[in-house]
Amino acid sequence: MRWSNLRGVLFLIALIAIWEIASRSDLLNPLIMPAPARILGVFSDLISSGQIPWQILVSMKRAAAGYLLAAAVFIPLGIVMGLSRRIYCLFEVTVEMLRPVPPPVVIPVAILFFGLEDKMKIFVIFFSCAWPILLNTLDGVRSVDWVLLNTARTFGLSRAKTILQVVLPAASPQIMTGLRVSLPITLILVVISEMVGSTDGIGYFILDSQRRFRVAQMYAGMLSLAILGYTLNQVFNLLHRVLMSWHWGMMKRME
Amino acid sequence: MNALKKINWSGWLFFGLLLLAWELGARGAPKLQLYFPPLSRVLVALVASVQTGALVSQFMITVGRFLEGYFLSAAIGVALGIILGYFRSVHQLFETFIEFLRPMPSVAIIPVAILMLGISDSMIVAVTVYATVWPILINTIDGVRHIEQVLIQTGRTFGLSRRRILWQVILPAASPYIVTGLRIGLSIALILVTTAEMVAGGKGLGFFILDEERSMNSGNMYAGIIVVAALGYALNRLFLALEAKALKWRHGMMARQAA
Repeated sequence: MRWSNLRGVLFLIALIAIWEIASRSDLLNPLIMPAPARILGVFSDLISSGQIPWQILVSMKRAAAGYLLAAAVFIPLGIVMGLSRRIYCLFEVTVEMLRPVPPPVVIPVAILFFGLEDKMKIFVIFFSCAWPILLNTLDGVRSVDWVLLNTARTFGLSRAKTILQVVLPAASPQIMTGLRVSLPITLILVVISEMVGSTDGIGYFILDSQRRFRVAQMYAGMLSLAILGYTLNQVFNLLHRVLMSWHWGMMKRME
Repeated sequence: MNALKKINWSGWLFFGLLLLAWELGARGAPKLQLYFPPLSRVLVALVASVQTGALVSQFMITVGRFLEGYFLSAAIGVALGIILGYFRSVHQLFETFIEFLRPMPSVAIIPVAILMLGISDSMIVAVTVYATVWPILINTIDGVRHIEQVLIQTGRTFGLSRRRILWQVILPAASPYIVTGLRIGLSIALILVTTAEMVAGGKGLGFFILDEERSMNSGNMYAGIIVVAALGYALNRLFLALEAKALKWRHGMMARQAA
């Protein structure tokens, strides 16, 4: 968010003020759209009572497990598929068959196999992050300059060293793209899977609040999700800048 | 050129072996069959539920909701995107608002939609529109902003009306970005329709799949998943074919510039 955009910030504040007034004067049904001040009050209560932090922690554990697992499996697979035409052909059809499956319909299958436990959500996230990570890694490895690979071979680098010191760094910008695209997907899928089959987590918390008609609590949960999404994005950008600083430095020098 | 692309034998063989392993593995473990029925039984269930019309009617419902949601999103996203992309001051006004809403995972809107619209078709369409508008909107804004000012100024110099500048300069020039947004929106719309049907729907493929899981008819559940996957695949293919046709002029132009 760019706070320097004064007009934008003022506009947002004005919208919230209109909502507040409309809700207080019953122009908006306060049962469905409670006043923002009330939502903020409930939000701070739920923060200090530890309930929202706890639900978010539960969700984040699942999200992290699924996301990291997907990265650990599909980055190496993408590298192997990118380097070897034969292995690429072997998996191509299977990938093309599985890719059009919308991730939420995998939830019932995961429930059958894993019940309503954490494993179910982790699997669903793993499945849905698979394609962006795999396909971006694959593209990245394929676009590695052949001169680099040939040079490595000329210098007699072993296969493992070539992959770790030449291919991985050269493909890393696109691998990072895949990881970045997967971030919001992870958040969406953890929320969906908690809505469909769970007894805790922030997704469950929001839907459950709606079912019990605790409307302000529902909006407070959504607010916490927005903050979470924003924070995750910022953390990723920070990590990205630190990890990839060598890359930008190199690009600048080349210019 | 590409029409004679060879069939990927090893890929199909591997995929076939996986299916065979599924069939044999499931047959060899009768205890697991409740979760993991042999492929042949899934196919039988697929044919049976198509014949009785159960799956077909759910399919039509889902497709109807999808089309309604998707086309609404496209209309709203492109129209708003052009306004926000063209008028810098309007964009500034809405920027913070957009940045505030965007990081929230779109599915979190489902409970609000249930509250306002009840469990209904319009709820599912509304949720789909909310989520699908984002990529279309953002890409359209980007597209309009990347138009060379020379193009618009040339149009003005030639005395083109605002409407003609919009239709004959802005829209074509921004179309590659708009198409990218529309393509991303396609899969998001399908995800949201099926999710909303799972969370709060009495009908549709998403509901069908979850319901069959709950009644332990795993054969029907897998049949439903195959249908959803086929739908996603067909939609994507259709989109690519239409895109190639619609943007043909552009590829032609690019080739001429390169030559």
